[in-house]
Amino acid sequence: MVFAIFSVFTLLTAAGVILSRNVIYSALNLVLCFFGLATLYLLWGATFISMIQILIYAGAIVVLFVFVVMLLNFEKPIDQSVKLPLMLLSGAGAWGLAFLLLRVLSKSVGEIPILESNSGASVRTVSKLLFSQYVWPFEVLTIFLLALIVGIYVLAKPEGEEKK
Amino acid sequence: METLLPLAILLIVSLLLCVGILAVTQILGPKRPVPMQLSTYECGVKPEGGSHVPFKSSFYLVAVLFLLFDVEAAFFLPWALVYKNSLAEGPALFWALIVYLGLMAIGLFYILRKNILRLN
Amino acid sequence: MNGLDFLIAALKAIVILVAVIQVVPVMIYVERKVAALIQDRPGPNRVGPFGLFQPVADALKFLLKEDPIPHYTNRLLYTLAPFLSLLPACLVIAALPIADKAILFGREVTIQIAELDVSLIYILAIGSLGVYGILFGGWASNNKYSLIGSLRSASQMVSYELPLGLAAVGAVMVFGTFSLREMVLQQEGTLLGFLPNWGIFYQPVGFLIFLISSFAETNRLPFDLPETEAELVAGFHTEYGSMKFATFFMAEYMNLATMAGLMTVMYFGGWHLPWITDAALLELLGSQNLLCLVQVLTYIVKVSCFMFLYVLIRWTLPRFRFDQLLSLSWGSLIPLGLLNIIVSATLMYLIGVKQ
Repeated sequence: MVFAIFSVFTLLTAAGVILSRNVIYSALNLVLCFFGLATLYLLWGATFISMIQILIYAGAIVVLFVFVVMLLNFEKPIDQSVKLPLMLLSGAGAWGLAFLLLRVLSKSVGEIPILESNSGASVRTVSKLLFSQYVWPFEVLTIFLLALIVGIYVLAKPEGEEKK
Repeated sequence: METLLPLAILLIVSLLLCVGILAVTQILGPKRPVPMQLSTYECGVKPEGGSHVPFKSSFYLVAVLFLLFDVEAAFFLPWALVYKNSLAEGPALFWALIVYLGLMAIGLFYILRKNILRLN
Repeated sequence: MNGLDFLIAALKAIVILVAVIQVVPVMIYVERKVAALIQDRPGPNRVGPFGLFQPVADALKFLLKEDPIPHYTNRLLYTLAPFLSLLPACLVIAALPIADKAILFGREVTIQIAELDVSLIYILAIGSLGVYGILFGGWASNNKYSLIGSLRSASQMVSYELPLGLAAVGAVMVFGTFSLREMVLQQEGTLLGFLPNWGIFYQPVGFLIFLISSFAETNRLPFDLPETEAELVAGFHTEYGSMKFATFFMAEYMNLATMAGLMTVMYFGGWHLPWITDAALLELLGSQNLLCLVQVLTYIVKVSCFMFLYVLIRWTLPRFRFDQLLSLSWGSLIPLGLLNIIVSATLMYLIGVKQ
């Protein structure tokens, strides 16, 4: 019951992200959507992932989005009129995807499990797995982040350096 | 679930508090708006120019770098959790940390040397 | 889940929330009185004996003043922004352990709103949501100085969340748990025979980093460039009047109380008296509820010391320039945090190997 309420909340805010006319309202809806997701994770007993979800998604990624919006003044509402053939095509694509997803999910999921804290998704289990079975992906991730840092420097080089 | 119930109550009470504060100001405050009062404040002179900031890339860079390092710090947390107990089984986690922290330090060093954030 | 569970849960949430909100009027008075004493003037002394009813006067003033909404602003965001600051400040107090169990209505009740097994990450996560109130406050004010102030403040808060997290990682390494209640339970008794077994003796550098970062996280001097009185009028809350302005301040003081609480829990033993274990105290006092009361009082005294430190430093040190601020975080505190982690890890490995 509680799970259903939060699922509906998450879906509504996700719809709000797309349907808002103002970019900042979309960002706020996105934060609420991530909150909804975090609550769903909590109800499943995955406490660590839910807190990390808030910490990184709602606390860093959307902050980045909002920074960009404020620096570039995107406040004006976007022109939302779309031509008819494009609408039909994208509608068909979306419905097709939804149909496929429903087919796949109805075969695999029984009822919705709500687990307690000692389940397989608890913090200690995740941590131990991370460092025993998945330790190489863990290290490779850091190299990936390093590459991102260099990429950011290349993209945002201060102009003065080109003159040197 | 029992631990989450007080949290849910806290959330509801905080929301009620916010709504209450809003309602109190609407009800109790006088409303006599005057044009001068409603325009933006610039130390007493007439406001000029639009209300937008010229783009300074250092703000954006701080946010992006924070994002990257936040992800890295989020990986430190599970490591710290299991480190103490894993020492009984050998130094595997210790060397995992050395590699991880070394790479993170290289990234940090790179940022500081290339002065990406204009920290001079 | 019956009515008694619900009653206890509601009691915990409401009593602790109201207690933390009471910090705000107390701090208003303490701040002004201490500032006055440092600046060699009397401070508030008209409203009530020694000016003790000053916060009451301030609260009435805030409630009864007009609440103007400037032209050309985004009304929804303008109204929402102070509450976006207040909500995380109210929610984050849920994970702080104030005392051990008390016996109410025949049940054991822990004096902590929500005992998650990831309390520390909860506090860091909800703390990182405090940026939104500032960002939207500056943006919705339609005032370029507010916008600059809010962008700077957001950059500052965001830059100092990293050292905060790294210092917390150090504490997690030592205690081996994210749960704050277990951290406090491990800080009982004595260390090496003569020191209280507190976290600060295990992680002194971590404590220092955490202390400095907490000043910056709450936009408190010496890091309050975004709200300087001389440069940007009042920064991101220039255009806010009466209760909305007061809401921003409530959020700031509640964040201060939370940071102070977090520091006492992680580094200063939480609710424990120095050198004395809970069991010894229980034998001395006899009743569990009396012990709980002593624990709550100890916690309040420790948090008050930190709040006093905050006020003292605000009125003593000059403020940093913005680039000095950022270079302190990225250039000094983050490398120091990483060094702390490596040194602690090495020490733990060597000590573990010897045993």
